[in-house]
Amino acid sequence: MATNSGAQRHRLLNFLATVIVISSGLVTLIGLLSDDGSTAADTARFLIQLVTVIAAVAVLAGLVNLVAVHLGRFVRAERGWPYSVLVLVVALVVGVLRILDRAEVWSGDLEGEQISVRVFESVQVSLESALAALLVFFLVFAAYRLMRDRVTVWNALFSLTVIVVLVGWVPFEDMDVLRDVRDWVVRVPASAGMRGLLIGVGLGTLTVGVRVLIGQDRSFRD
Amino acid sequence: MNNTELTWVLLAVALAQTLAARILWRRARLYHRPIAAYRVLPEQAADAVESSNRIHFSLGSSALGASSSLSALAAAEVVYRLSERLAVSRQTPLVTLSQPLTLPLAQDTLRRAYEFRQNMAHYRSSAAAWYPQGARSLSFAAGAASLAADADVHSSVLLGRFGVEMALLGESALRHDQGLIAHSDLPEGQAVAFVQADEALLGEELYVAAAYLNGSPLERGGVVALDVLRWLVILGIIVAAVQAAV
Repeated sequence: MATNSGAQRHRLLNFLATVIVISSGLVTLIGLLSDDGSTAADTARFLIQLVTVIAAVAVLAGLVNLVAVHLGRFVRAERGWPYSVLVLVVALVVGVLRILDRAEVWSGDLEGEQISVRVFESVQVSLESALAALLVFFLVFAAYRLMRDRVTVWNALFSLTVIVVLVGWVPFEDMDVLRDVRDWVVRVPASAGMRGLLIGVGLGTLTVGVRVLIGQDRSFRD
Repeated sequence: MNNTELTWVLLAVALAQTLAARILWRRARLYHRPIAAYRVLPEQAADAVESSNRIHFSLGSSALGASSSLSALAAAEVVYRLSERLAVSRQTPLVTLSQPLTLPLAQDTLRRAYEFRQNMAHYRSSAAAWYPQGARSLSFAAGAASLAADADVHSSVLLGRFGVEMALLGESALRHDQGLIAHSDLPEGQAVAFVQADEALLGEELYVAAAYLNGSPLERGGVVALDVLRWLVILGIIVAAVQAAV
């Protein structure tokens, strides 16, 4: 008996979730495709604002998750736990610095400074820039590995294009032909391929969108 | 035809084709072109269960409530279909992401898979891990790669929205002898996926995952709808090009 009522409640919740998702989706879609100032457009804007507010709250949930994941790794002494301790300590220090910034406690040379922003810029941005500089080596090595593992027409074409584009950037004299080829590669096939991919992604999102709008997406149902 | 009318027409075509293909599916077996990644993914899940290792899923910066909402939903569908198979093992799959709004989706996806297998004892909500996204998403990639490197991961499956930071995740996966399946809805990430991954999903292939991984007739109908739309766009481009040339 209890199982039956549980299953019924479950079905009812699924039904309600499906109704809310379909109606919200349709109202937002109609609103986004309506003229500005219409009731439908205003309703859509309200729903999108709701998402923005929820997104702000979700950052807090993310922070709690970050602390829980790394605290768990530290407590269970999982491999790499010292890095988790580092993450937790840095998160705590930056949080405290931000609170002190807001309380305007700094004096002397530091008066009016935003130390948390300065820490962020000097550590985070520098590290990200260093990692970004490494990416080109990863990609060139990946192209080499691609050719080593399996030589196909497409892989050969890819590697050849990488070489032409990279050499085309070298500022040597008498390299006009390569520079022209590089420009053509970037302007014509690369641009066409990029548009093709984006059109494909657009069509893919359309078919998933239709599935959501007719209540067939599983993510909001049990 | 303005943008609004075009959107309605495309939606109507997609809906009509999905429903038509669903009905046709009962009478005749419709052909789907093979996609290598969807052949490999179930095999990797089976290997992970047998070797008692984990699979690392990453949704990148796919975010609910943003332009990548449907990428997040499509990627979550893949996570669900494979987690259903992985949920028989004691090793919970690892899901990393950089958008806090996607975190509940990832946690709920894993929970549903474990509930389906009636193995909630091994479900941990901390198996979905959020890493903040820096200016170039590289801090997320560094954090997620390091977590996956320490977690006895058998394969990394990167799906959703990634830029060039995917190279960092991919390099780490390859260095640790992990299998790598990758996709991005951004061209930069897609290029990296093509070079680094054992099997890459290209463009729209992510959105038909449900059909290829034990999909329902309606989901298989979605593949037909996508093919019809693709051919309509190709025809449209050819007609426009011929008109411009004449």
